[in-house]
Amino acid sequence: MNQSSSFESELAELLPRLRRFAHSLSRNPADADDLTQATIERALRSRDQWQQGTRLYSWAYRIMRNLWIDTARSTSRRAGHEAPEEEGLTVGEDPRDAMDAAVDLKRIMAAMARLPDEQREIVALILIEGFGYREVSEMLDLPIGTVSSRLVRGRTALLVMVGEQ
Amino acid sequence: MTEEEKFFAWLDGELEPEAAAEMEAKVASDPGLSRMADKHRSFGQHLRGVFGPIADAPVPGRLSAALRPSAEVVDLAAAKRKRSVGSLPQWAAMAATLAVGIVVGTMLSSEGSAPVSVEGGKLYAAASLDQALNTQLASAPAGDVRIGLTFRDQAGYVCRTFTQSGSSGLACRDGDRWQMRGMFAAPEGQGGDYRMAAGMDPNLATLVDSTIAGEPFGATAEKAAKDKGWR
Repeated sequence: MNQSSSFESELAELLPRLRRFAHSLSRNPADADDLTQATIERALRSRDQWQQGTRLYSWAYRIMRNLWIDTARSTSRRAGHEAPEEEGLTVGEDPRDAMDAAVDLKRIMAAMARLPDEQREIVALILIEGFGYREVSEMLDLPIGTVSSRLVRGRTALLVMVGEQ
Repeated sequence: MTEEEKFFAWLDGELEPEAAAEMEAKVASDPGLSRMADKHRSFGQHLRGVFGPIADAPVPGRLSAALRPSAEVVDLAAAKRKRSVGSLPQWAAMAATLAVGIVVGTMLSSEGSAPVSVEGGKLYAAASLDQALNTQLASAPAGDVRIGLTFRDQAGYVCRTFTQSGSSGLACRDGDRWQMRGMFAAPEGQGGDYRMAAGMDPNLATLVDSTIAGEPFGATAEKAAKDKGWR
């Protein structure tokens, strides 16, 4: 496979995971999909900056995170705390399961949205996406101690918030 | 690292073996810490359980669309490079990146000219593929779709195999539409006519074997089934 098709197909393969990451950063599924779309577009435009042989997922996650900081975050600030209507989310074939899952997701997304951004991204990358501390410290260009302390504060606060709901 | 950070690093499997063993012993001897460990472990599972289905769900068409060749973001050089891949369309290239045999539903669009569309969690033939399944006979290939076998499945529905630009698949009648039962990308570098000459994709053959009831239709039965609207 040549460079171009491998880039696009690898990116396509990453899409579901990127979309999950977007949901853990965003306030609602519609914002999450907008962020995912912006990330794909940015990645395609900046493809020359990706060096083949290096980890595409790291690069793509970083693009998403930076875009979220640049745009999605300020948008959600503008939107204030008014919760938008939930978008439909396909999660399984059984409508009852899908509904329960959507309710859980809505609750967790609301709680995540109340975390400070610098904690939210680390909770998302480590607890949801499953990256290691070292990998996240490289991805976000932060000392590993900072990653670890933000993770402690974020996960502790999140557990309390989810418990309150 | 504070004790609290060390505790969580242990919980996440991030401590060196010696420090981990130390923390393990400490937690084991402290009921408060043990409870906290349990609570955070199950919270972590809950989080992954809630967000996990997003990564398993089909990606909305507007997102995967940007990675299809019709997307306008590609520059000329990239478009040229892409053409050199051969006749394999983007959706097939994506399918090739998945484990063989996985239905490519997550990669496909409900818009535009993609050969399949996703509705209500089901994958249906669309555009030229849908048309070919409705109208073409195996004996008279037209366009870029070739029809292979036509037969009834064990529930009595008419099913047809097809090949399109190197990918092949099986679709069965669901009401007025063709529901995809499986789609398989050609092995790399093996597109179009070469694969026709090489015979049916082995994965597709396995799928047909497990789906078919009786024998495939002959030309007459195929024509008759078409005339009856594939009922």
